[in-house]
Amino acid sequence: MKEFLKVGISGVRGVVGETFTPQLAASFARAFGVFVGRGSVVVGRDTRPSGDMIERAVTAGLQSVGCQPLLAGVVPTPTVGILVRDLAARGGIAITASHNPAPWNALKFMGRDGLFLDRTRAEEFFDIYHQGRFDLVPEEGLPLVETIPDPTGAHFRRVNDYVDAAAIRRRGFRVAVDACNGVGAVHTRRFLEALGCTVTQCHDAPTGIFEREAEPLPEHLGTLAALVTAHSCDVGFAQDPDGDRLAVVDELGRPIGEDLTVALAVQDVLDYHARGPVAIHLSTSRAVQDVAEKRGAAVTRTRIGEINVVQTMLALGAPVGGEGNGGVIVPAVHPGRDSYIAMALVLELLAKEGRTVSQMRDTIPSYALLKDKIRARPEQIPEALRLLRRHYEKGKINLLDGVFVEFADAWVHARPSNTEPVIRVSAEAPTREAAARLLQETHAVIAPALGFKPV
Amino acid sequence: MNGLRLSSFGLRGFVGESLTPEVVMDFATAFGTFADGGRVLVGRDTRLSSPMIQASVTAGLQAAGCEVLDLGVCPTPIIQFTVPQRRASGAIVVTAGHMRAGANALMLVSANGGFVDPVSGEAVLDIYHSRDFRRADWQHLGAVTELTDFAEPYFAALEAHLDVAAIRRANLTVAIDVVNGAGCRFLEPFAQRLGFRLVAVNAEESGYMARDPEPRPRNARQVASIMPLVHAHVGFVASSDLGRVSLVAEDCETASEEYTFPLIADHVLARTPGTVVSNCCTTRIVDDVARAHGCRVVKCAVGQAYVMAALTDEQGAIGGEGNGSVAVPRFSRAFDGLLTIGLVLEDLAQRGGTLSGRLRELPRYHIAKRQVYGDPRDCYRALEGLERDTDWSAEAALDHTDGLRADWEDGWVHVRASRTEPMLRIISESRLRPQAEGRAADLARRLEREL
Repeated sequence: MKEFLKVGISGVRGVVGETFTPQLAASFARAFGVFVGRGSVVVGRDTRPSGDMIERAVTAGLQSVGCQPLLAGVVPTPTVGILVRDLAARGGIAITASHNPAPWNALKFMGRDGLFLDRTRAEEFFDIYHQGRFDLVPEEGLPLVETIPDPTGAHFRRVNDYVDAAAIRRRGFRVAVDACNGVGAVHTRRFLEALGCTVTQCHDAPTGIFEREAEPLPEHLGTLAALVTAHSCDVGFAQDPDGDRLAVVDELGRPIGEDLTVALAVQDVLDYHARGPVAIHLSTSRAVQDVAEKRGAAVTRTRIGEINVVQTMLALGAPVGGEGNGGVIVPAVHPGRDSYIAMALVLELLAKEGRTVSQMRDTIPSYALLKDKIRARPEQIPEALRLLRRHYEKGKINLLDGVFVEFADAWVHARPSNTEPVIRVSAEAPTREAAARLLQETHAVIAPALGFKPV
Repeated sequence: MNGLRLSSFGLRGFVGESLTPEVVMDFATAFGTFADGGRVLVGRDTRLSSPMIQASVTAGLQAAGCEVLDLGVCPTPIIQFTVPQRRASGAIVVTAGHMRAGANALMLVSANGGFVDPVSGEAVLDIYHSRDFRRADWQHLGAVTELTDFAEPYFAALEAHLDVAAIRRANLTVAIDVVNGAGCRFLEPFAQRLGFRLVAVNAEESGYMARDPEPRPRNARQVASIMPLVHAHVGFVASSDLGRVSLVAEDCETASEEYTFPLIADHVLARTPGTVVSNCCTTRIVDDVARAHGCRVVKCAVGQAYVMAALTDEQGAIGGEGNGSVAVPRFSRAFDGLLTIGLVLEDLAQRGGTLSGRLRELPRYHIAKRQVYGDPRDCYRALEGLERDTDWSAEAALDHTDGLRADWEDGWVHVRASRTEPMLRIISESRLRPQAEGRAADLARRLEREL
C-alpha cells in the first residue's frame, strides 16, 4: 500500500517518490501564493536529501503567481517564522517533515505573523488549492528569487538578548550536541560558541540521512549520552531534524525526558524573566504543571498542535509554555517551538542556580510518562474514541482533543495523530507500572473498534 | 487559446497561461523516465521566465532520479555539444529560440547531442500522457551539480575544427547581434579564441528582446547601421539561442537567411564532400551548390530533429535549413551559430575578398515568404482543400514530405502548418522576383478562401 499523503493543520506531508512529489509541492506553493497575495514569501528547509528539489518546486510555484521567494536555505523552522516578520513577508514555507523519518518530507505554512496557519486559515488555503483557479502572472511580472544573507543572525541575536548571555558565558559550559544530521548540524555550534560554550558534536553531518531516530526520545540518545560522559560535559542537547524540539541529557549521561526540557524552561522564565500564566498541551507532563503552579502560575492545557498552544499563549499573555515533546515556546523571542531559546534557557538556569542538570532535575516532581501509538484506519478512530469516552464517563474527561482523562495523580490521553494514520496514547502516573496499566487499559478498551480481540 | 504545444520536439507555451511549473515538471519527469534516471544536462536562455522554468525542469528530473548537470545560461548548441562530452543520457534546454517574449519552451536533446528523434519524442509524450513516471525514493533522488568548466572543451574543439591561423591573419572586424540572449557571455572568449575584433550588439544578458529574435534581413538593421562606423568586414544576426544566423555583408547589404546554409555548404563540401541534408522548403541554391560539388541532397521534413535524424541515417556531411541553420556532424549534432560564424570567417579568410563578392558567386533566386493565420485544426483541412481544389499544371511535381510542395522547372512553392504558431507558412522561390511573389500571393489567397 502507498503511504498516506496527509494534508491538514500540520501542513502537507508525504513520502518522497510516492505521494510527495515536486508537482504537488509546486501546486501547494502556488495556492499558498494566491492565499497570501502577491508579495514575498520566506522559504526555508531542513537537511533532507529531497529538500533542494522541493525548494526548487516551491520557488517555481510561488513565482508563477507573482510571489517573490526569499530563500533562507537550510535553517531551523522557527527561523523561518522570525524571518517572515523581520522581512515583512506575506508568509513563509518551511520544507521539513520535522520528526518524521527520512523518506518523508512536508510543507508547513506560516502567515505574515510568522505563525503556522490555524485551522480556519488552513481551511481557507486548502479551498484555494482545491478550487484550482490561480491568477498566473505573465513573464514580465515574474519576481526574481532572492537569497537571504545570514538567515539565522537575527534569530540568534534575539535569543541572546532575551537571556543573560554574560552569565552563561562566565560559566564556560562544556556542551555535547546531537543535531540528528539536521539543521542543527549547520547552526548549533556557532550559536553555542557565541554563548561561550565548548561544543562537541555527534551526528553532525548535515546530510538529512539520520544516524539516529529523528524524535529526541530517551531511548534514541545513547550516542549523545556517551559523548557527554566521554568529554565530561555539563549538559547534552539533542535536537530534532528541523531544530524546533530539544531533549536534555544530564552531566552523567542520562536523558532526563523531553518533557523536562519544558519544565526547566518554565522554571527559568518564571524565576528570572516574567510572571504570568503558562500554556501546555494536553499530553504534556504534569511535572511542567507542578513547576508552574508552585510559582503561582495558572496552567492552561490546550489541544495538540503547535498553533493551538501558541494561540492560547498569545490570548492569555503567557510568557512561556510549550509541548511536552521538547517544544519550548517563548513568545517574546518567537511564538513557536524553538530549540535555540530552549538551550539558552537551560544554560541560563544552570548558570543562575549554580547547580548541575541532575540536581535541577531532582527538584522537579517525578512522573512516568509513557507514549504509544496504535495503527488505525481513519474510519476506525471515531469508534475507538467513543468506546474510551464511554468507559471513563464517570471520570474527569476533557474532550478538547480526543479523550483526555484526569485522575488524582495521573492522566491518560488518546487522540488521532495529525501526521500519521495512528491513535496516539499517552499516560502519566507517579510510577512506570501505574502508567503502563493505564496504557494497557486504554488498549483493551479501544481494541474492539480496531478489529482486535480485547487482551 | 493558451498556446500550449506538446510535440515530440518538446513543449512550448506561454508563461502566465499554459506553461505552468507543474506542466514543466511533468514533462521533465517524463523525459527523466525515458532517460531511465540517467544523467541529464540542463541549461537555459536569458528570458525572464527561464530561471523559474529551469528550476521546475530540475525538480522534475531529480524526482525521476536523474543526476542533473546545470549549465545555467548557455546557448543551445553548446549544451548539445556538451551532452556526449559528459556522457549524459540527454539534455533539456529551456529556450524559446525565435519565439516572441512571453513564450518559453523545453527542447529535448538525446545522448548524441542531437534533438531527440521523432520516434523517441513520441515515446516521451506517451510517458507524459500515461503519467507512468519513474519516481526515485528519497535516497535516490538526482543530485544537482553546477557546471562551470564546460565552455573550454567546446572552444578547444571549435579551434581544432577551424583554420584559426588563417582567421587570425585576416584581421577581421566582426559585428555580432545576439539579441541579449544566451550567447552574450560566450562572445568575448569566442572572439579571442578565433582572433577577430568583436563588435558586440545587443549583448547584455537582460532577457529583453531588443529586436524580433528571428535572424532575417528586417531584423539586421541595428547591425547594418553600426558596421560602417566600425569598418566591419562582416556582420551576423543570431537567434537568442544562438542556433541560427543570418549574414550582413561589408557593404551593409543584409542577405536573406536562406543564404547562410548554401554558403557554408559550398565552403564545407569543397573540403569534405558528402551527402547534404536539407528540408523540403529550403532554397534551391543548396541543390545547385551540392550539384556543383557532385554531392547528393536528401530532403526531409522541417525541423532540427528531422534534419539530424536524416544526417544520421545518410551519414551526411552537412545539414541545414533555410532559416539560417547549419549543422556539421563531424563537429556536433546541433544547429550551431558559433560554428556557422566561424566557418563564414574561415571561408572569407582563406579566399580573401568580401562577403558581398562571395555571395554573388552563389546562384540567385528570389524567395517570397507569406503567413496565413488560422486555427491549427483548420490549417490541415485547408491544406487538403488546397491540393484538391487547385488545378496543378501537369509539369508540377507534388511532394508531401512536410505539408505540400509543388516543383516546376523555374521554381517551387511550399505550404505547411507551423508547429509553433497558429498559422500556415508559405514559401515560394523562383528565378524571377515577380513570379516568386505572384505564386506566394496566389497561394495565400487560395488558403484564405479554404479557411
